[in-house]
This record gives sequence, structure tokens and C-alpha cells, in this order.
Amino acid sequence: MAKVFGLGSEPVVGLLTPTKKRDYRVTNRLQEGKRPLYAVVFNFIDSRYLSVFATVGGNRITVYQCLEGGVIAVLQSYVDEDKDESFYTVSWASNVDGAPFLVAGGINGVIRVIDTGSERIYKSFVGHGDSINEIRTQALKSSLVISASKDESVRLWNVHTGICILIFAGAGGHRNEVLSVDFHPSDIYKIASCGMDNTVKIWSMKEFWSYVEKSFTWTDLPSKFPTKYVQFPIFNASVHSNYVDCNRWLGDFILSKSVDNEIVLWEPKVKEQTPGEGVVDILQKYPVPECDIWFIKFSCDFHYNQAAIGNREGKIFVWELQSSPPVLIARLVHPQSKSPIRQTAVSFDGSIILSCCEDGTIWRWDDVTNVPPA
Amino acid sequence: MVTDSASKPQKQHGEPLEDTSGTLASKIDQMRKQIQEERIISVKEKLQRNGENLQRQISAILSVISSWDSSQTKENRASEMLSLRINQPQSKYLSLSQLSEENNPVGIPAHSIKLPPVEKIPTYTTWVHLARNVKMGEDQSIIGRRRIYYEKHGGEALICSDSDEEVTENEGVKHEFSEGEDRLLWMAFEELGLTDEVLNIVSQSVRGTSLEIQDRYQDLKAKNMGRQNQHSEDSGEYKSHIGICLEKSLGAALDSFDNLFCRRCIQLFDCPLHGCSQPLIYPSEKQPVWSEPEGDRKPCSDQCYLLLKDVKMLSECSTPGSLQGKITATIEEADGIVAPSSEEGPSNQKIMGKRRVKVKSDSAFRDSILPHDYSQTQNSSKKMKTVSDDTVTGSNDYNRDLNLDACNEEKQSVTHASSEVSVEHSSGSSGNVKPDKDVADRQKDTTNETEFKNLYSSMEGQFDEKLSLSDWKPLEKELYLKGVEMFGRNSCLIARNLLSGLKTCMEVASYMSIPHTFSHGTGSIMDENGKITANRPDQKMSRSRMLRKRGKTRKSKYSSKSAGIPYALKRIASGKNQSIKQYTPCECQTTCGKECPCHTNGTCCEKYCGCSDICKNRYRGCHCAKSQCKSRQCPCFAAGRECDPDVCRNCWVSCGGGSLGEPPRRGDGHCGNMRMLLRQRQRILLAKSSLVGWGAFIKNSVNKNDYLGEYTGELISHKEADKRGKIYDRENSSFLFNLNDQLVLDACRKGDKLKFANHWQSPNCIAKVMLVAGDHRVGIYANKNINAGEELFYDYCYEPEHRPPWAVPKAEASKKDESAANQSRSKKHQSH
Repeated sequence: MAKVFGLGSEPVVGLLTPTKKRDYRVTNRLQEGKRPLYAVVFNFIDSRYLSVFATVGGNRITVYQCLEGGVIAVLQSYVDEDKDESFYTVSWASNVDGAPFLVAGGINGVIRVIDTGSERIYKSFVGHGDSINEIRTQALKSSLVISASKDESVRLWNVHTGICILIFAGAGGHRNEVLSVDFHPSDIYKIASCGMDNTVKIWSMKEFWSYVEKSFTWTDLPSKFPTKYVQFPIFNASVHSNYVDCNRWLGDFILSKSVDNEIVLWEPKVKEQTPGEGVVDILQKYPVPECDIWFIKFSCDFHYNQAAIGNREGKIFVWELQSSPPVLIARLVHPQSKSPIRQTAVSFDGSIILSCCEDGTIWRWDDVTNVPPA
Repeated sequence: MVTDSASKPQKQHGEPLEDTSGTLASKIDQMRKQIQEERIISVKEKLQRNGENLQRQISAILSVISSWDSSQTKENRASEMLSLRINQPQSKYLSLSQLSEENNPVGIPAHSIKLPPVEKIPTYTTWVHLARNVKMGEDQSIIGRRRIYYEKHGGEALICSDSDEEVTENEGVKHEFSEGEDRLLWMAFEELGLTDEVLNIVSQSVRGTSLEIQDRYQDLKAKNMGRQNQHSEDSGEYKSHIGICLEKSLGAALDSFDNLFCRRCIQLFDCPLHGCSQPLIYPSEKQPVWSEPEGDRKPCSDQCYLLLKDVKMLSECSTPGSLQGKITATIEEADGIVAPSSEEGPSNQKIMGKRRVKVKSDSAFRDSILPHDYSQTQNSSKKMKTVSDDTVTGSNDYNRDLNLDACNEEKQSVTHASSEVSVEHSSGSSGNVKPDKDVADRQKDTTNETEFKNLYSSMEGQFDEKLSLSDWKPLEKELYLKGVEMFGRNSCLIARNLLSGLKTCMEVASYMSIPHTFSHGTGSIMDENGKITANRPDQKMSRSRMLRKRGKTRKSKYSSKSAGIPYALKRIASGKNQSIKQYTPCECQTTCGKECPCHTNGTCCEKYCGCSDICKNRYRGCHCAKSQCKSRQCPCFAAGRECDPDVCRNCWVSCGGGSLGEPPRRGDGHCGNMRMLLRQRQRILLAKSSLVGWGAFIKNSVNKNDYLGEYTGELISHKEADKRGKIYDRENSSFLFNLNDQLVLDACRKGDKLKFANHWQSPNCIAKVMLVAGDHRVGIYANKNINAGEELFYDYCYEPEHRPPWAVPKAEASKKDESAANQSRSKKHQSH
């Protein structure tokens, strides 16, 4: 059911003609294994490791580095001894001292925190009642992570102390699996989550911030921490009419996608008088053809200048996010890339785009705009 | 032919019409384009602003992520494996350009670090604890919503749960006008006028019917007008906050109370169970007025009218019980005293005669007059207290009264009420001012003319008095009336409980004396006032009669023992598996007859009904003394109800359970059938079940028949339950529980730990639906003695003869369960 837009509230829709603002070429392709890869992510939380990325698929977590000339180096590899584990998501985090952590979760519902500095499992968080669909890290406080789960909740964790601080669920919570969640880039209290109940919800932990602070100094058993429920979001948006499987903040706006072949940029307008209710102003649309299956996630570069998203047929669309109307920077096509792309990763400056596919391959695309052809 | 003739005039008129409409269309199209362009610009600006903010945010993050580099020492870094690996990677994948063939190795050759397995917990959907059942929020309904499910093993297959029956109807939905549409139709109609052509063209670019568009235009017009007016009015609209409150009527002020206060839970606002805006049910029988004997009363404050009375009664013999007679005596006495003095002038005699008659005819009002006279003498008595025997003042006062009498006779226009007041005033004060009065009389003799001069001034005084009465705000007036309803004409209680901080006792008392100045259509209440007033003299008598009456009803309860518990008992006794009926309070104002909704619905009338105490359909509670209501001998127990301390005779609630050493009351022990009401539950633990998934365990050992806890959840309709049941069945975990003919409990997202107790064919617990204070609730009781730490299981039925088809031994259970799922949902064990 297409949303009907009244005059003067129509979104600005981007044109699907590539502008070739940037020219990307495949520089590497590697087959990690047979199992589908669900996530690939660059390290954006520690400037020393900006070229390091991690992938998850099956019961394996692998750490790579992008080197010059399209070379990819394998740095570390972790395997869950439970063969049935299937990781869906991974995120970079750190303890309070800055040791680089990897936080991964999947079908088992157990969050694995790996200290890549010592190559050991640091902690495992048991608590979610079902599989974990996405984990994200608070960039300003990189020991805080949030996880979105099939158990209809979003949880905030302190990976340093191993505490589950808050649970965003209950009376006003999601009514089906939560598929995606994201921290606001600057408002440290705000998160947005979306899922199979077709809604996007914005939550605030402002009232509960004392618990977040308490979690850093907690010395008792983590299970004794007074975990709080946040039962009501501050904003509840029905932007889509189907599963919402990815959402990201773009400043104070939200980018979200469903299975409707497009990414939508919208502004949440919170009504002060009636918390929880609000108006959505859909500003822009970024079309993505053949993107009608769920669990396809997009990614942005560090500066949110561009977003890359794969589709069901192995093509990647790179959109300039902040121009109006949106500009399709590039459309990445390779005859051998045909498998659905579950997630992409855009490097710090957008010069490298990685994609991980259902068939277990990782593709590396490099910006060759200013590189003279060899 | 017909078409020809019809087309001709069209053509003739058609051309100029087309012409104008053409230009109109282009004009409106221009407007439309302009609006769209502005939208594009505004989006661009928004993005720009947002982008600027974002860049600031990003640079803040950048400084944070760069700080790690500087904060760590070189040695630290060297010891960090990730940094080490960067220098010495396990392996490298050459880029495609460096490879002649695609011969990069497949799979990861590197040695992998093992993550030791962690025991995972059984699956569950996140749920929140509920201490008591709650009604489903409207936004939680899944009826009419498109739900999509995916098969676990079917990959991307999407299944829509709801078929065409529930496609949401768009037709009924009113079109919501966007800002741009508003602008367009505003511009179009303002510039081009509201004609059909314009309307036609506008409706092409604006969604919504032409009628809606027209309405919208009118709305906008009104809004614009309003905005202009508002500017001018803004300055003059200052009112103090409290003033606004008091100007409201009681109904408006009580609006939130009426709508939000839960009369079933008593202490709750915005009740999650019974909801807001419950129908207000007023009992058909008015509560007797709460009162205390006049003589026992102590002055409530230094503003109490009783103080006046004390002063006044100094010289009188004070027998508090015979207040009425005393006042009559006072009046007569006053008359007697005044009479001789007024004999002096022939005109005065007339007054006297008139007054006597009046006193007699006013006897019906005596009571209402009585308090007023205290306050009337307020001024004088105060003066008497403070300025001792100031004869001049006293005489002046007295003069004033007499003058008023005269005025009464001469000027009939003075209101009835005020004249009574003055009469009573003179008589009331007469006892005290006796010595002064002689002086006054004498003075009056000599200054007979000043009397008439004073006449006008005193009249003015009276009007002042009336003006002060108009200080009563509507809310205060209505509060006062409520006070009279509750406390009778007891100004102390009214002032203290209802008008605290607004009016003093004396003010209330003075207001009380002039009931006829009301002109607010409160006639019916005033009638009641009158009744109460009339009852007042024999208050004591009526009170005792009241008590006797109560005794009688109690007795009748004994006698109508069998008839008193009509339905509930039968239901159990007959052994029919009738479904339990939801109770909704009836509003019958008389004794419930056949039309009573409770009666037709097959439920008893409860204490929440509006019907009278002697209603035949009313549940009368039990009167068990020794059995502690723990067996079916107790009618409550047998009827599947918990005892109600308000209704049952010997079932009482005490504070602290006897630990505070309060004296024992009737009955030998505590009623054992109120445990859900009192929440005397056991500690339940949640752990992995020995069977499957989660299980509930008991912490401490319990005995057979002990109450363990309540199965709480969201109350949903059967229709909703059918929809949810489908989903839950798909997920193979259902927490639905049939409650009664209208409601189903769903503990999926809201509930307590008992929802995790599994089904077992030989259970150690039973679940019973009990009627607790008008609500059906599910209690879990021990079926046998259970040791500490044992897992809890329960079956679905209470008794063998009640066993529904689905509660059959396990082998058949799984099959039958599904077939009967629609009629009677029950818990299934979670299995994943």
C-alpha cells in the first residue's frame, strides 16, 4: 500500500541515472566459506584501525584489513564451538581503556564480546530470549552497545562491565522481531529501532541515564544490577507498511528501509503535548531496484556523505545522502556478483566499499576516479 | 434529436466557459507548481541545516575516536594483538588485478580462535511483569492489521495472516489536508473566488471530495479570522489561575475525576483494568447523611460558627439535645421583649404583629434560619466579646434590625429571605443584648426619626451582605451543595472537608441560611436540602431507625439464605459446564427486575451495581464462621468467588494479620478465601523446566489447597484472541487463558512468572477462575503438598465433571488441543 502524499508534502525522489561522480572497480573478491555472510563492518571507533573490518557468517567471526592495491589481509578468525550458531551481526566496541572489542550476536541469542587486543573471549551476555538481529555501538562512549532481538526487545549493554543496563520493551514496545537499531550521532540519550511490526520507534534513555552511569562503576555481580525497563518510546512512526529492516540516524533525521525498493529519509516531528505520538515528514527517497527481500542493510561512510546498499541480484547502489535531490553516485555491477548482498560497508572516506553476500563471498570495490588506469 | 438539443446550449455556453476554466486551470496549476517548488526548496534547506549539524556531531565523534591513539603508550600498543596482526597478518589475499587467474584460496586458512560454547537459555518473548490484569490498549489490537510472517525454514517466504476480510477501508477515512493543499485552496479561493469551476480544478490537484474541500476552506477561513481576533484579545485575557478554576462548574472540575477515577479499584486513576470513562453508576439508595450530635461538636476553628453560638447561649440554659425547642423559646422570648418596646409607636405595633405571624409561618425555615442568625450576629457578638458592652454599637445594631422590620413592612420589595434574617437576628441577639436593648429602646424612643434615616443605610447594609454572598464562585456553591448531601447542614464539616482554604465555617453557615438565593437550577438538590433540613430535628431518632433498618436487612439475609445466592450456587451445583459470565454493573435505579442486565446476563448484582441493597439478584456473601470459607460449604467458595469483606459477614480483614495484637473479632480465624484479593501469594521462581522450555518453581514448600499466585495478563476479546492464537500457534507458544464469556487472558507480553508453568496430566496445581471484587481472575492453587523447589504444573480444568474435551491424557492431547483451540484456548508448553 503506497503512502499517499498531499500536495506540498511530497518527498524528493532521487533519479536512478548514475552520475559517475565516483568510479568504483572491483579490486578483490574472496570466498570466506560456504555459509552466508550477514554482516561486514569497518572499525569507526578507533582511528588506528580505520582500515580494519570484520565479517560474520555461520559460527565464524573474521577480522580483516584493507591494504593498498586492493589487497585484503586476514588478521584474526574466531569460531564459536557451537556449530549451530549463526551470527547475524557484529559491531566494533571497546572497553573504557580503548582495547578494541568485537561484539557479535546471532541465532543463539548470546552476545559474544571478543577482546581482539588479547584474542580472547572477553564476556558472553546471556539474556535475550531469542536471536539477535543487530548490534550497534555508541560512538561517543564505545563501551555502550545496543542489541535488537527477535524477542521484541532492544537492550543496552555496558561491554566493559558486562551489565545489561536497560531493556526497551513492554507496553509501548515492538510487537514483533526488532531488526535494526541505531544510536543518535550526538544525542547520547536517543536511539531508534525498527522491526517486523512495521514501525520505527525512537526511545530516550534520558530519565534512566543515572543507570547508565552506574553501570560503569558497578563492582557487584552484573546479574545484580537493577536493570530497568523502558516501556514507552518517545516517538512511534509508521513510515512503512512492511518489515523495516534497517534504520540509521542522519543527523536528526532518520534513514529507514523496508522491502519497497527504496531507502526513505524522514524527519520525526515529536509533538510536545502528546509524547509517543508524532508526525512523520518524508523528505527524500533513494530508490534501490530489486531490493524487495528483508534483511538487507545499508551502510554509510563515517561522514554520512554516502550510503551503499546491495540488492537481491548482487548489485550495489551508492547514494549521495545529503544532496537534494539525492544523487546516485554509482551503481556497482559485476557479472559474477549475483548473490543477494546482505550488508555493505563503506570505509571512513568512502573510497572502499565492501559487500558480503549470501553465497559467502566478500567483494571489495575501490574508488578509481582519480587513479589513472594502469 | 435529444442529444442535439442538449448539446447545442452546451456548445453555446461552452466556449466562454472553457476559456475561463482554461485560464483558471493554468493559474491553479501555477500555484500548484509554486507550492511544489517551495517544497523542494524547503527540503533542501532542511537537509542543509541538518547536514551542518551533522558535521559538527561528526567532528565531535572524530575527536573521540582519535583520542585512543594518543592516550595509549607505544608499549601498550605493541602488546595489542590486533596491532600486532596488522604488522604480521596471517595471510593476504592479492587483489584481482595482481592475479592472472582467480586462484585466491577458498576458505580461511588462518588458525581460528575457539569461542567456548555458552549455555543458552530457552527462548521467550520479552515480557513485563504485571501484578494485576490489564485491559488491552487499543493500539495493541492486531485485528484489521496486516501481519506478515515468515516460515522459519521457508527462507524469504512471506505469509500474510489476514485475508481480504480485513483490508482496511480507505473510503471511510477523512482526507487529511496537507499544508500545501491548504495553501493551494486558500490561494485559489481567495484570489479566484469559491466557484464551481475553481472547485473543480482544485479538486484535481487536491485529494478529497469537493465537499471536503469546501469544508476545509471554511475551516481555514474561520481559523484565519480566529488568529486575527486572537491578537487583539491576547492582552485582555489575563485571569488568575485560581479564578479560572473556581469559575468552572463542579461537573467540569470533576471531569477528570469522573472519567479517570476507577470506582472498581477505588484507589486508582486511569485504571488499566477497567479503563477510563466508565459509566457513572449512582446507587439508587442515598447514603444517610453523616452526622454527629450537635452537642459533641467542638468548634472546628476560630472561625467556627459554634463560637458564636456559645457566646449567645451564655445566658440560656444549654441542653444540646433540644436545640429546636430552645430556639423557638428564644424567638418567643425575643418577641416578648421586643414587643413592649415597640408598643411605643403605633407603626411599630403593626410591625410586631406582622413579625409574630412571620415567625410562625417561618417555622419551617427555622432550621435554615438558625445557623444564619449566628453569623448575622457575628459582627455584634464579636464586638461584644472584644469591646465589652459597647452600648452604642449594640443599640445601633438593634436599631438596624428594627429598621429593617419597618422596611419590610413598608417596602415589600426587600426579599423574603433577608427579612427573615433580620427577624431572627433581632430575636437571636435579644438574649445577649438585653441590657443594651433597653438602652437602645429608650434611645429609639427619643430618636424616632433617626430610625428612618438609618433605614436606608441599613438596607444598604443588607445589600452589602448579599453582595458578599455573590462572592461564592459557582464551584464553591456546588461544593457546598455536595457538602450538604454528605454531612447535612453541618458547616464545620463542609468547610473543613470541601471548602478548606476557600470559605470559613462562618461563611458557610451564613451561606446556608439563605438557600433561596440560588438561581442556578439546582432545584432538585435544593429539594433534597429541604428534606434533610426537615429531618434534622429528629436526627437522633432517624439515626437509630437507620441502625434498626440495617439490622433488619441483615436478618433478611439470613432468612433468604437459599434465595440469596441464586445463580452462582446453581451453576456449580447443576454441574453444567456453563461458561463463566462477565459481570458488568447494572444501573437499575429500582429493585432489579427482569430487565436488569445482570439478571439477563446471568450474573448476580454486586456491590458495584446501582440497585438497592434489597435487590433480589444481589449476591449476599457468605456468613461462614468456623469453616474459614475453605470448603464448598462456603457459598462463596462453591460459587468460585473470593469472599468480600464488604459483603460477607464474617470475612474480615485486619491490619498486620494479628501481629499488631489487635483484638480478635467475630469468627475464629481468617477467612481463607480472600487470598487473591489480599495478594497472599507464594514466591515463584523461574528456571529451565525439566520438561521443555521455561518452568515455574515454588520457593517454599506449600500445603494442598494453598494459593500460589495469580496468572495475570492482558485482557483481550475473544475475537482478538482468535487472531493472536493463530500467531501463537504458529510460534508454538501460547499464553492465552479463557477467562469468561467475554474475555481471554493473554500473558504473552505482560504477565507473571506463573505463565511459564507447564501443563502436565497429573499436575500439582490447579488453575481456578475466581470472581474477585467483580472481576474474574485466575488463581493457581496447590493440588497437593508441594516441596520447596519443585516445579509447578497445572491442568486446565477444576474438577472431573468440568473437564473440557481438550484436557485429556497426553497421548491424545496434542491432537485434540488443536481442534479445540478456537473454543477453549489453553496454555501449551513452550516448545522450540
